[in-house]
Amino acid sequence: MLLEIHELTKNFGGLIAVNQFSMGVGEGQIVGLIGPNGAGKTTVFNLITGVIRPSGGKVEFDGKDVTGRSPHVLAKCGIGRTFQLTPLFTEFTTLENVVASYYLHPRSSFWGAFFGTPGYRHNESYALEQSLRILDLVGLIKVKDERAMNLPHGYQKMLGIARALAVEPHLILLDEPLGGMNADEITFTMDIMAKVRGQGMTILVIEHNMQILDLCDHVVAINFGQKIGEGSVADVRNNPEVIKAYLGEQNVA
Amino acid sequence: MSKDSSVRQRRTIILAVVCLIIVGVMFALPRLGLSVFSMHTLIGVFIWVMVASSLRVLSLSGQGSIGHVAFMAIGAYTSAILAKYLGWSLWITMPVGVLATVIVAFLVGIPFTRVRGIYFTMVSLFFGILVLSVDQVFNKYTGGYSGLSAIPRLFAYNKIPYYYFCLALMVICLGIMYRLEHSRIGLTWKAVAQSYTVASSIGIDEVRQRILCLVVSACFAGVAGVAYAHYFTILTTETFSFNQSITVFVYMTVGGPGLFAGPIVGTIILLVIPELLRDLKEYVPLVYAAILLIVLFFMPEGLAGLPAQIRGWFSRRVKSRQIQPAEEVGKRAS
Repeated sequence: MLLEIHELTKNFGGLIAVNQFSMGVGEGQIVGLIGPNGAGKTTVFNLITGVIRPSGGKVEFDGKDVTGRSPHVLAKCGIGRTFQLTPLFTEFTTLENVVASYYLHPRSSFWGAFFGTPGYRHNESYALEQSLRILDLVGLIKVKDERAMNLPHGYQKMLGIARALAVEPHLILLDEPLGGMNADEITFTMDIMAKVRGQGMTILVIEHNMQILDLCDHVVAINFGQKIGEGSVADVRNNPEVIKAYLGEQNVA
Repeated sequence: MSKDSSVRQRRTIILAVVCLIIVGVMFALPRLGLSVFSMHTLIGVFIWVMVASSLRVLSLSGQGSIGHVAFMAIGAYTSAILAKYLGWSLWITMPVGVLATVIVAFLVGIPFTRVRGIYFTMVSLFFGILVLSVDQVFNKYTGGYSGLSAIPRLFAYNKIPYYYFCLALMVICLGIMYRLEHSRIGLTWKAVAQSYTVASSIGIDEVRQRILCLVVSACFAGVAGVAYAHYFTILTTETFSFNQSITVFVYMTVGGPGLFAGPIVGTIILLVIPELLRDLKEYVPLVYAAILLIVLFFMPEGLAGLPAQIRGWFSRRVKSRQIQPAEEVGKRAS
C-alpha cells in the first residue's frame, strides 16, 4: 500500500468530522472517495496533507509515518494535491503557475538562485521545459500567457491538476476535479487522469459525479465521517448503506 | 513564443540602457556643479529609496510593515554607538550594524511570521514602538529624545564623497533587489503572497520563506540606517518614529508597490516636492494627502504604473484579447 490510513479521527469541538476512518491506496491505483455533501471527504484530504492535524489515528505514506506533518513536508514526500475551490496563484500567468510549482524538483539553493549559477539556470530551464510539457498534457498550452484569474472555470481546474503534477508526486489527491464541468470537459479530465495513471502515478479522488467510478479500481464511501462501504465499483454501487446515503431510506407504505 | 521573447529581450536592453544613463548622469552631477543643498537633498533621496524599496521586498511575500524604520534604527544605532563610544573604525561598525539588523530581524521573524496579513502589519507596528521604547530606556547611550549626536563621520565635511558613497550603495542594493525579485526566490515569495495554502501544497515552506523575506528586507533597511547615521550624525527618537514608518509606506504606495520602480519614483517625488515648495512649507502635508488620494483612487498601479496605464487606455480600444470558451478543452480530447 502506498498510502495507509489507520483509524483517523478529527473532532472540531463536539463535532466529530471524521471518525475512526481507515483506508488504503495501492500503488498505481485510482481510488475514489465518495460520499454526500458534508460527509468529511475534504476533511480526510486535509488530514492526509497536513492542512489540519488529526485528533487521533495514523497516516502512513510509502511506509513512513507522516501523521500531522506540515503540508510542505508532505509535498516533499511526494503527495500532490488540488483544491475543491481551485485556489490558484491568480496574479501569475498559467505558465508561471506551473513554473512556480516546480519548486522541489529540482530544488535550487538561495545563493544558487541569487548568483544565477549554471546549476540554477539548468534547473530553471528544466522547470520551464517540464511545465510546458505538463501544460501540453492538460491542454492549456494555448493559454499559457493568460493570467490565471482570467481563465474560465474548467481551465482553472485543469491548471490545478497541472500544478499538482509539477510536484512530481507519487500520489496525487484530486478534490472534486469534475466539479462544475460540462460533459466534454468531464471526458477530457477523465482522459487526463487515465494518462497520469499511465505514467505511474497513483490517484486518490474525491468526487460527487458518479461517472468517475468508471475509472476507479477501488471505491470507498464515507458518510458522517465514517466509512459506510468499500470495495470494487460494483460492490459499492450495490451496497445498501451507500444507496441509503445517496437516495434516502425507502419508505414502504 | 520567439517573437514574444525577442520583444521582451529588446525591452530589457532598452531598460538597462536607460538605467545606465540615469546612473551615469547621477554620477556626473557633482562634477556638473550641483549645489551643496541639492546634493544634500539627493543623499536623503538615495537613503530613503533604499528603505522604501526594502519595504517593497517585504511586500513581495505579502507582508506589509508599518514599523519598518525600526530595522533602520537598529542598524543606525548599533553602528553609531560602536563608533562613538568604542571608537571602532566605521568600516567595521557599519557591517556590524547591518549584521545586527539581520540578526534581530531573524529573531523577531520567528514569532512574527506566525501571523499573516493585517495581523503581521499590527505586530510590525508594535515592533516599531518596542524599538523606540528601548531607545528611551537606554537613553544614557542612545540619547532618547535629545538624540545621539556627534556620531563620527565617514568622510570629512565634504559632501561629494557621501554623495558617491550613498549613490553607489543605492545602486548596489537596488541591483540585488532586482536580481532577487526576478529569480526563483522572488517567484516563490510572490507565490506565498498569493496563497499560502497553495504554496505549501507544492512544497514551499511558507513560514521559512516569509522569515527569509523579512530578513532580506531588514538587511537593506539596516544598510540605509548605517548610511543615515554617519551622514546626518544625529539620531533621535523622532528620526525613527512611527510617523516615519508611515511616510516610507506612503512613498511605496504612491509610487506603486506592484512595480520595481514604484518606491523609487514615489520617494523621489514625495521628497523633492517639499524642497520645491519650501516657501509653502505648511501646506506640504496637504499636498501629500492630495497626491495620496489621487493615486489611490485613479492609479491602481501607482505613479510608476502611469505610463502603462495610459498605454492601456489606447490599446484596449484597438484589440481586446479573447480566451477561447471552455468547451475547447473538451474538444481537444476527441
